[in-house]
Amino acid sequence: MNRWARVLVLFGGGAAVALGAELAQPGTRWSALALIGGAIAAGELIVLRPPYREAVPISFAFMVVLARRATVGEAALVLVVALLATFLVRNEPSTVEGRLALFVERFVEGMAAVLVYRGAQEMFGLPMSRAQVLTALALAAVAPLAVAEVARMVRQRELSVPLHGRTADVALVTSATLMAVSDLGVEGRGGMGLWGPVVFTIPLLAAWYSYEHLEIIRRTYDQTIHALGAAPELGGMVREGHAERVADLCAAIATELGFSRHELEQLETAALLHHLGQVCIDEPDDGRAPEPVAIAQAGAAVLRGTRLLAPSGDIIAAETMPFREKISTRPSVMSGQILKVASAFDELCEGRPDRAGGALEALHSCPGYLYDTRVLAALEVVLDRRGLLEDTDSRVSR
Amino acid sequence: MPLEPNTQKRLRLVAACFFVPSALLAAGAVVASADNMSSAAVAALAIFGLLAILATNLDVEMVSRVAVSGVAMIFVASLVVFEHYGVIAGPAIVGALGALDLSHVRRREWYKVVINGSADAVALLAAAALFASLPISSHPATLWIVFGATISALTYSVVNSVLVAVPVSVATDEPYLSALRDTVSFSIGSFPFAMLGLGLGWVYLEFGAAVVPLLVVPIMIARRTFSSYLELQASQEQTIETLILALEAKDPYTSGHARRVAMFAEYVGEELGFGPRRMERLRYAALMHDIGKLIVPNQLLNKPGRLTEAEFERVKRHEPVSVELLRRIDFLAPVAGDTTTEAAEAAVKGDAALIEPAIIHVADAFDAMTSTRSYRRALSQETAFSELRNGAGTQFNTQAVDALIHAIERRGEVYGDGHEVDEHEWAVAPPEAGTGSAGLGDLVPEEQAAGA
Repeated sequence: MNRWARVLVLFGGGAAVALGAELAQPGTRWSALALIGGAIAAGELIVLRPPYREAVPISFAFMVVLARRATVGEAALVLVVALLATFLVRNEPSTVEGRLALFVERFVEGMAAVLVYRGAQEMFGLPMSRAQVLTALALAAVAPLAVAEVARMVRQRELSVPLHGRTADVALVTSATLMAVSDLGVEGRGGMGLWGPVVFTIPLLAAWYSYEHLEIIRRTYDQTIHALGAAPELGGMVREGHAERVADLCAAIATELGFSRHELEQLETAALLHHLGQVCIDEPDDGRAPEPVAIAQAGAAVLRGTRLLAPSGDIIAAETMPFREKISTRPSVMSGQILKVASAFDELCEGRPDRAGGALEALHSCPGYLYDTRVLAALEVVLDRRGLLEDTDSRVSR
Repeated sequence: MPLEPNTQKRLRLVAACFFVPSALLAAGAVVASADNMSSAAVAALAIFGLLAILATNLDVEMVSRVAVSGVAMIFVASLVVFEHYGVIAGPAIVGALGALDLSHVRRREWYKVVINGSADAVALLAAAALFASLPISSHPATLWIVFGATISALTYSVVNSVLVAVPVSVATDEPYLSALRDTVSFSIGSFPFAMLGLGLGWVYLEFGAAVVPLLVVPIMIARRTFSSYLELQASQEQTIETLILALEAKDPYTSGHARRVAMFAEYVGEELGFGPRRMERLRYAALMHDIGKLIVPNQLLNKPGRLTEAEFERVKRHEPVSVELLRRIDFLAPVAGDTTTEAAEAAVKGDAALIEPAIIHVADAFDAMTSTRSYRRALSQETAFSELRNGAGTQFNTQAVDALIHAIERRGEVYGDGHEVDEHEWAVAPPEAGTGSAGLGDLVPEEQAAGA
């Protein structure tokens, strides 16, 4: 069953329950709550994926509509049933534990929206003015996003709130507020009923469509770069996995040295493609491996011919530079030194983590002119953090 | 692209024919609405007029026929709002203002502004008149208003499509009915946003202008994100294409091959009625189809004459590597093809789930035959067509072969011997015919090839 079939099943389930409730007891409030429950269940599968931000489901917006319509007890029941239905139908996360954890997290997020709205209602007192309703709904819309952010920080064990991709949050908060306002109106005016949330889901769906396309094109581009980087390995010119390992190590060292996200991306791309030049140059007739400088220059020349990859081409060119030469503030020079160290380290390790200590020693024992000592120090920190230097001391002392 | 002077002259005539009756109709509507022109209606006119100008200049096409059409949304909203104020001229004025596309104004293409403004004004006037005539005031239920707005929005779409098809037909030299099909399908694509206009109109009337940003902001975010996607797509496509071409340069004989294969594949895709997304994937896959060639040493690629068996085996390894690399890209994985005999047979017979690998195979073979290679000079287009036809059903997918030949003949293009774009300089001149035309096998007996 594909995603849209799942969405239809979940929303259709909610609609069927609503119809059943209406037939059993005409005019019951449970029919509207069942429809909102169906929308929450289906909305769990439609997620906004802005770049550099964890995905957020559009169900958060329907939780705000629920918060305005239901009592705390009713909301809890609707949320449990809706999220349970999604739990049974969704295929991501792939493990039952993962889906269960998401079920709990979403329930807490939904209840946060309900409790915040009720809290604001208590604070403002009834009847609320237009400004008060809008404020209460906006706060209720922010609540699940805030809980999701805390959950992410706990999962990733980092205390930071990145600002990237927050347009998705803004789209969710504004749409959710409008959906809930249009549903029941304000000061006795303007209630469109559930037509309101239906109509005002359109901008959210447009945002979802745009984020989805952006995500697909970014992923395709990244995968193309990874595939091109793997070409020399598939041709037997480089040890398998070299490019990926070097890219990973470069990213860790650069993070340690405080590189920006943009610089980090350029360095990772350079690392993935740093052997591309090897496929462009003639193999020496005597069977020797081509000169590293020739490989780097050929690869850099290809990348410099493109607009997006030119900075990565500069990094590859700088890889062959002794680090004391042309020292400047240009990021490509420092990145090139990181690439040189990471690539040499992987060569020395022969792709085996248990040789990390020996490889690091070998790099340290090279003439100081070859490798930047700041990069070597950062490499040591990274390896230590990864627990790869644990038997090094004994080996060195032996 | 600037239009021909003659076309511009004809469009100016269309503009004049549109302007006079629509101006008279609008003037009549303004006179009829004068009594209801309250300060609230004037404020609404200013707000929706401004929103229409903004929307026109910020519209973005999402797929070929679905636009984030802020304009359609504003127009339908104005129908709802001015029906409430009893100002039948309101939507027409908003429609006329919505024609102020700054790119047209900057290029002084006033006839475009007049044509669009007149068509929108007349279409909205018709829709507003219909909306006003519906018995909504006696049935103020939500469903009635939804029904009324939907019927009015449809009326606007139909009248606008009928009118706009005239200048489209004049500008493109297409028959009127064909142009009408295009304008109608575009209107249908804008319909979700037109319905959103109903909500905007409602929100405006019930909660005032202050709530409007709650709707406009997410739409702006969607639009901005989609623009980022389009920009990124363009620059990444350019990057990948440049990269492929630069890497292709290792074999001077196949320079431009990937781009031509992508072009021929697109010809076939167009003939077979592929949608934009499928076309994009086909083009990308065609561009990347020979990526595995990266692993073949330059000396082998540029070797004049025949390869030894060991060399041939090494060259042949590029095919599974191409498939493997394409499979690593999710977007291309479904069309990456398969190197097994069964899969190749299924592709030729049209039994495969997707025809794309078969299309790329045909496009690749056609370009290989009509280009000079280190082992053979280019064949004529007739020979290449005849080889494709002979191999159809056994070596090539018949549908793809027919589509490619039809597309090239329809365009009147000629490829092959005497028509190659890339000039070649060679140390050892390639024979005029020989082996290895993209897996076609010998085209002439080996002794003859050796003697050539």
